[in-house]
Amino acid sequence: MSTHDTETTAVLNALKGSLDEVSMDTPVSQIVSAGRTRRRRRRLAGYATGAAAVTALALTVVPLSQPFSQPFDASSDTALGSGANPAHVSNVAFTMNRHTDGTIHVTWDKQRYFEDRAGLERALRAAGFPVVIKEGVFCAGPDDDTSLVRGIGPGVSAVMHGVSTGDGKVGIVFTPSAMPAGKQLFIGFLSPAQLAVTGGAPGSVERLVSTTAALTCTAQAPPASPRKEGASNPGVKDKTAAKRPSPPHQNR
Amino acid sequence: MKQSEFQEFYQANRDACLRSVLASVGDRQLAEDLVAEAFTRAWVSWHTVRRHPAPTAWIVRTALNTRISWWRRRRREVALDGDLEIAATADGEPALDSALLTVLRRLPQRQREVIVFRVFLDLDTKTTAEALGIAPGTVTAHLSRAVTTLRSQLVAIDQPEVGS
Repeated sequence: MSTHDTETTAVLNALKGSLDEVSMDTPVSQIVSAGRTRRRRRRLAGYATGAAAVTALALTVVPLSQPFSQPFDASSDTALGSGANPAHVSNVAFTMNRHTDGTIHVTWDKQRYFEDRAGLERALRAAGFPVVIKEGVFCAGPDDDTSLVRGIGPGVSAVMHGVSTGDGKVGIVFTPSAMPAGKQLFIGFLSPAQLAVTGGAPGSVERLVSTTAALTCTAQAPPASPRKEGASNPGVKDKTAAKRPSPPHQNR
Repeated sequence: MKQSEFQEFYQANRDACLRSVLASVGDRQLAEDLVAEAFTRAWVSWHTVRRHPAPTAWIVRTALNTRISWWRRRRREVALDGDLEIAATADGEPALDSALLTVLRRLPQRQREVIVFRVFLDLDTKTTAEALGIAPGTVTAHLSRAVTTLRSQLVAIDQPEVGS
């Protein structure tokens, strides 16, 4: 061993030896006790967080799960409405507000336009607006008028119409009181494959259909009908041609 | 959790961990608090820590990281580069070699970490390199430079110049 190595060893030994007398006073029982306390707190915090999540989920699910046949209470406009009818429902895909004039205002998030149609359907039904929402299929009863003008059937404009929200979202006002007896609104969104007819822009068909007769659905997009300009299948409403802002389907 | 396993680990390594942290922070009580906190965290996450390649290194790193977070929280830590009165100990506590610790704590951080891991924790070069996230050759280089500095400083202390 060289002198250098010897000196190095001596230095390190001296360094290590300088703290030889230092020892830990804290007993292991104190460490374990502190650890148990900390773990218990974490569990309690976890339970509290879980309980809050369950409560939030329940508050969301309850209004959405109300049966379709429940009457609409237009007199209430509180946060969750009175009784079974929600005045306000909001999730990642849309917000729904029930107004005192009986209308239901729905605003779709432009970025999430196609993400939760089932949730929207449940929310609208819970609010007293009869609606069936599908994707990729187009339904009608045997006696329903299936004619379309730019994707919209007769009588639809009385129960729903678009509004400009000015914030890049899609606003639609539903009017339950204008719904003819025995009818419900059918909304058929084009599937991704069917969107070719609109050049990729979001498209849909809306028509009033029977609430009592069995609906027959087809995956065949409605036939073309004359329109002013643009899309190759005017029978389908091209959201980009409408006045309201169109949600980019490619962002779904 | 295997209680006995943790207790054995604690009993076998608590002093080495304390000395390692003390060599870095220079304050006996602070070092004990930090090491106790690190062992408490190790107990809570023992299923993970026990599989660590160098659990003692985990303890020391956790203690030193805790010190940083405590410092950030309290903003009233003494400056490490100053000459602390390390030898000013409470009754019954062994007096520490203040000169030695002062020299040690004046080393660059990386060199001090290598000293702590290699000397006080008795980790080999490879494990030290893994614990610090550096190459083994870098560990060797840092250790060599640290020893050179320590040797020169300690010789100067042991043999003060005449008239100084």
